This record gives sequence, structure tokens and C-alpha cells, in this order.
Amino acid sequence: MKFKSLFTAALALAVGAAANAKDIELLNVSYDPTREVYAEFNQAFAAYWKEKTGDNVRVRQSHGGSSRQARSVIDGLQADVVTLALAADIDALHTNGNLIPADWQQRLPRNSAPYTSTLAFLVRKGNPKNIQDWPDLIRAGVSVITPNPKTSGVARWNYLAAWGYALKAGNGDQAKARDFVAAIYKNVPVLDSGARGSSTTFVERGIGDVLINWENELLLTKKLRPDDFEIIVPSISILAEPTVAVVDRVVRRKGTEAVARAYLEYLYTPAGQEIFAKHFYRPHLPEVLAKYEQQYPKLNLFTIDDVFGGWTKATREHFADGGTFDQIYVK
Amino acid sequence: MIPMRNLQRTAVRRALVATLAFSAFIPPALHGADAGELSALREQLRLLEQKILILERKQELKDEAAAAAPKPPVATVTDGRIELASADGGTSLRLRGLVQGDYRWYDAANNPNDTFVLRRARLIFEGRFNQLFSYVVQPELAGTIQILDANLNVAFSPAANLRIGKFKTPVGLEQLQSDPVAFFNERSVATNLTPNRDVGLALHGDVLNKTVNYTVALLNGVPDGGNNVTGGADFDADKTFAARVFATPFINAKNSPINGLGIGLAVSVGDYATAAGRTGGYRTDGQQTFFAYDASVVAAGRGVTWSPQGYYYHGPLGILAEYVGSAIEVQRPGFGVREVRNHGYNLSVGYVLTGEAASYRGVTPKTVFKPAAGTWGAFELVGRIAGVDVDDAVFTGPAAGRLANPNTAATKLTTYGLGLNWHLSRSVRANFNLFKNEFDVAPGAAPAANALIADDETTFISRVQVSF
Repeated sequence: MKFKSLFTAALALAVGAAANAKDIELLNVSYDPTREVYAEFNQAFAAYWKEKTGDNVRVRQSHGGSSRQARSVIDGLQADVVTLALAADIDALHTNGNLIPADWQQRLPRNSAPYTSTLAFLVRKGNPKNIQDWPDLIRAGVSVITPNPKTSGVARWNYLAAWGYALKAGNGDQAKARDFVAAIYKNVPVLDSGARGSSTTFVERGIGDVLINWENELLLTKKLRPDDFEIIVPSISILAEPTVAVVDRVVRRKGTEAVARAYLEYLYTPAGQEIFAKHFYRPHLPEVLAKYEQQYPKLNLFTIDDVFGGWTKATREHFADGGTFDQIYVK
Repeated sequence: MIPMRNLQRTAVRRALVATLAFSAFIPPALHGADAGELSALREQLRLLEQKILILERKQELKDEAAAAAPKPPVATVTDGRIELASADGGTSLRLRGLVQGDYRWYDAANNPNDTFVLRRARLIFEGRFNQLFSYVVQPELAGTIQILDANLNVAFSPAANLRIGKFKTPVGLEQLQSDPVAFFNERSVATNLTPNRDVGLALHGDVLNKTVNYTVALLNGVPDGGNNVTGGADFDADKTFAARVFATPFINAKNSPINGLGIGLAVSVGDYATAAGRTGGYRTDGQQTFFAYDASVVAAGRGVTWSPQGYYYHGPLGILAEYVGSAIEVQRPGFGVREVRNHGYNLSVGYVLTGEAASYRGVTPKTVFKPAAGTWGAFELVGRIAGVDVDDAVFTGPAAGRLANPNTAATKLTTYGLGLNWHLSRSVRANFNLFKNEFDVAPGAAPAANALIADDETTFISRVQVSF
């Protein structure tokens, strides 16, 4: 009898708990090449959250050029979290939409950048145009594939990496750097809206001699088609720090603040870091980085703060309407 | 799936490349060219292929951008209506209008002037948004300028809609029918007894596979043919409850000869008090007042209106019938409250001579009026018998205490109507209606020779109507 009572009580508790489990849906608005990594990460987080709280969480994904994605959120796309290619795009959610506070970058470790990446070159097998470093991109007859800095985060990183290289090579001469970057864009036949589009142009459509793209995107391509392409590591590149943020105004309205915050915090855990490392992003946690270190090429990296004084200044000077990019790029 | 255009482009490119490749691999001896020329040719070929690939990719990106771009709103102009709608149809604004110009000819004892009348002039704004909400704003610019309808409808489901604002009280069958599609220029005299537009809220919808339509409403209260003109006034603290159930049980049996049969019952109940003039006059088909309470009479208690009603439409034939009973407590100051029971009925029949289907929503002509093309639109013959029987008790008692003057107000009106409706197009209609109104007066009444009720009223009303 006692056993029966206990069993009944346990069953009631279990049924009650199941009945109380909430179904939660989050929308992660991210940049172009993160489809695969977040597909895996979302499953891991859902399992973690289920175990921790009993609630079922489903994370929907939206991907596109980083700046265009930010624009969509400002225009009303109900993103619980944004995981974009650069801090400037998330900043725009504060400056143009008042969706997040000004100090959003201080709310998570490492200025809300849970992983890093950099840029490299992808060339066709045998490197027929003998691309070795940035100066090779301005040679006549070399066709360069990079996305549009107006819509794409990686395109801005590409642009600034080239500019940073030219500054260093020209002893800080801004005019020479400008001419150098302009010469690169003279060799760009197609401007895709995002990183994945540029990969399609180069890999699937067979256009161009060299693709500048995220290191993780290139490593993924190389892994999938090892006989068709080669990765070229330039002498210098930029340390890319994609950033993440909870969209306060949306989560407050939807009541998803806690789970959205936990979602981003999970990026910093060993489990989250490992998933990103498996997809060729560079993790912060030393033990995870050590485990995957051999997959990352060695190269010299500079930061946007070092060379450009941060994203705000760089955006204003280079990518705002009428900025340097608009001046040098002739359609 | 690869779009056909891409396949075509790819085919063209491959053919071009194959042709050039073939020529490039012709042995040098046949060409008379050296290895350097061959190499240059191959490079040219590669560059040409790249150019084609780039052009293809640019077009592909343009197509993608076009597909992803927000779809522009759609503007539709049909039969004079203008509608702007979002690409998904979830948000729209429709601009409609109604203009009716009459010429009235009278043969009546009171000898009214034959006259042109701008009967109705309305601009109608209808819109919807967020898939859930719709609204109507309809000002009347002819006669008494007023807002006829101004309401918001929230469509939770086909079975559950909530309407808030000013709208028609759900009682009279012909009253609820849209003006421009009614059989006759003027609704029947039975409509004198049904409440018209009022302010409040209503829950309505279609249930049982759309065979039953229901409405329950809570309103300020406009009894006995009344109309809440100002939209905001409530003469008393009491509210009126109105409910209507209308069944079209065979509507889903498309081939049944009785799928156009509808029957229903409507009731409104409310308590009314104060304000002279609330128990307004009743009008003939010629829009002359044949009955009015004494000016000092006010509503002073319970008012109930009930109406069994129905219609039948089959092919070109249409029949609409309703009975209206009205009981209302009224009072002449200084005398006791008395209940007055009035009755009205209407039987209207229409037949579309040109064969188009008749319906409660009107007739859609198969052709439009275009003599050069030999098309004339649709013609419909209509007939009606209707009447109002006023409670004889209103005329009883001494002159100072009775509720209505038997020398100026009839106790009964019987009307006969005959008409021809010419549907020149879906939006334009010309009507020619002949009415005969026969009055019965109270026992002992002695109307003046030039009083309306002293003799029958014969009226011919012609109308040109634009409704879009």
C-alpha cells in the first residue's frame, strides 16, 4: 500500500512536471556562414536547457549578410539574440533602434565575442595565379571574390585587413592604402551580399582566382573538397571578433530574457566552445584551443582597435554612405 | 530547382565554350599557328568563359535580391473601386462610393412638389490589417450629414467576430441589406418599425459549416425605426440587447433548388426613457410622413421589436419577406404610460428578365451597357406589397391626452410597388419604381382635404445610382 501511494505520488509529480514544461522559441539572427555551427549548437543548448529547467526550447535561425541582418532587426525582425559578424552591426541596434543598451558589449566576457576568427585566401588547386599575399590581389588579370561591405560583415573585415596590410607596407601612408584597396576592388567582378554567397560564387560557380573569406569558411570548403582548392595564408591579417547580444526590447516583450541570456552564456562553456572549434572557429578557452590548435594556420594578426581606432570610427570613415568604400568602388 | 532561364543560359554558355574549345584543339599544323598562339587562345577562352560566368552570377544575384525584396503593395481598380493592398493581402484599404440621384413625381392629397433629390452620397472606406482587424468608415454627405458606419471588426475566427462602433442593429432583414442592391429605391414601410444604426458592440459569426449566422449585440438603443445620427448620444442609462439568428440550411447543397432559402428570427429588447422625438414618424414609399406621435410623446419603458424573416433566391427569382412587430411603452406628459403595439410586413419579389442570378447581395449583370456592342446590361422586374398597422389605441382619448392626431396620422398603410431595375453595369443601376400607398384613418377622423392621409399617395421614383 505504501509503495502504491509513493508510486502514485511520483507519477503525479512527473505528470505535473511534464504538464508544466514550457515550450520556448528563440530566434537567433546571425551572419552568413554560421548556419551549420548554430544548427549543432542549438541542439546542444536545447538538451542542456531541458535538463536544467525541464523546458523545451527551440531556436530558429536566420542568416544573411551581417549588416543586412542588423537592419532587419532594427526594422522589426523579432530576434531574441543577435550573433553577428562585427560589433558595429550590433551597435546599430542601439544607435539606430534603441533595442539594446549602449553598454551591451560589457554584459558578456571578452567584449561579448565568444570566439574569434580571421581571414585567409582560397585559390584553385595548383594556385594557377600564384597568389601568395595581399599584393598579388591587385595584379592585372587576377579576379578577386569578396562580398559587399555595405551588407556583409566579412566583407568589412576583408576590406580593413587589406587596408591594414597596405598601411603597414606603406609606413602608415593612408593615401597609398586607399589606392591599394581601390586596386583590389577593381579586380572584384561580383559583389555578393554575404560570405556564403561569395563562397557560392567562387566554389560552385567557378568564378574568380582567389576568394577572401572567413578562415572557418575556407577550412570547411577545403575539408569538403580537398582536391579542388588550396588555402593561402597571407603575411598579415586581422583578428575578427564576431559578437553576440540579447535584444532586450524583444526578450522583455516575449518573456524570454532568461533563456536568451543563458543561450549566449552557453557559448562560453567548454561544450559550446568545442562545437565552434569543430566548425573551425577559434575558441577562447585554452583547453579547447589546445585540442584544435593544429587546424588553424599561423599568421600575424592585428586588431581593429590597433589600426582603425575601433568599429565606430572605421564604420564612419569607410562604410557610411559617402565613405571611402563608396568613393573607391566603381560599379 | 534550377530556373529555366539559368538552364538556358548554361546551355548557351556550354555551346559557346564547346565551340571555342573545339577550335582551340585543332592541331597546330592545320591552324598554321604556333604553341604561343594556342596558349593565348586558351587564355582568351578562359577569360570569355569567366565573363559569361560573371554575367550569369550577377543575374542570379539580381534574381535573388528581387525575390528577397519586400513586395510592393498591389493597387486594384475594378468597377470604380480602388483598393490598395499589401503583397500578402493582410493589409488593405478599399475606397468605395455610393451616389443616388432621384426624381420624384407625386400624386397625393397634400400636393408635394415633384422634385430632384440627391438621396445618398457616400464615400466608404474599408480596410483590414494584421489579418485580424477590419474597419468601415462611411459618412453620409447627402441630406443630414453624418457618420453612418464607423466600426472596427476583430475576426478571431469565422465563428467569432467582435464589432465595435456604429453599425446597423441586427433586426430588420431588408434594413440589413445594402441600400444599392435592394429590390426597390426605398425599403418597404415595414422597415419603419426596425431599429436602424446604433452604437455598441456585437459578437457575430458563421457556424455549423456556414449554415447559421448569428449576431448578439449590446447597444445604446434606438427603438422603433430610430437611427443614432450623432453616434455618441445615449438618451438613457439603459442599454438595448439585440439578437438575430439567420439560417441558410441548404447553402452548401450547390445544386439544390432550395440552397437559396434563408429563414431567421431577430429580437431587440431595451428600456427607453425621456427625450421627445425618439418615437419618430413613419414614412410612405414616397418618403412622406403618414404617422407621427404627438410631439410631446416620449418613450417611457420597455420596447421590444421582433421579426421573423426569410428570403428565397433561385436563379433569376428572388423573394424577400419579413414581419415586424414593435411594442413600446410611451407616455404623453401628464398621462399614464401606455404600451403601443405596431405591426409591419413586407413581401417583395424580383425576377431578372435577362436571366442573371438574383441574390441577397444583388444582381451582377452578364453584360454591361454598350449599345455599340449590342449589350444592354440586365433588367429586373420587381413587385412588392407591404404595410404598417398602427395600434388604434394611440388615437383614443381626449385630444389633449391621445398619443397621435387622427386627422394627420393614419392608423394603417398598405403599399403596392412595381418597378423595373436596369443594371447597366455592376456599378451603375437605373430604377423606375411606381408606388401606391393606401391609408386607413382612425374611426371618427376627419383629415383636412390637403392632408396626406386624405387620399392615396401615388409616387413614381426614378433613380440613377452609382455604387462602387
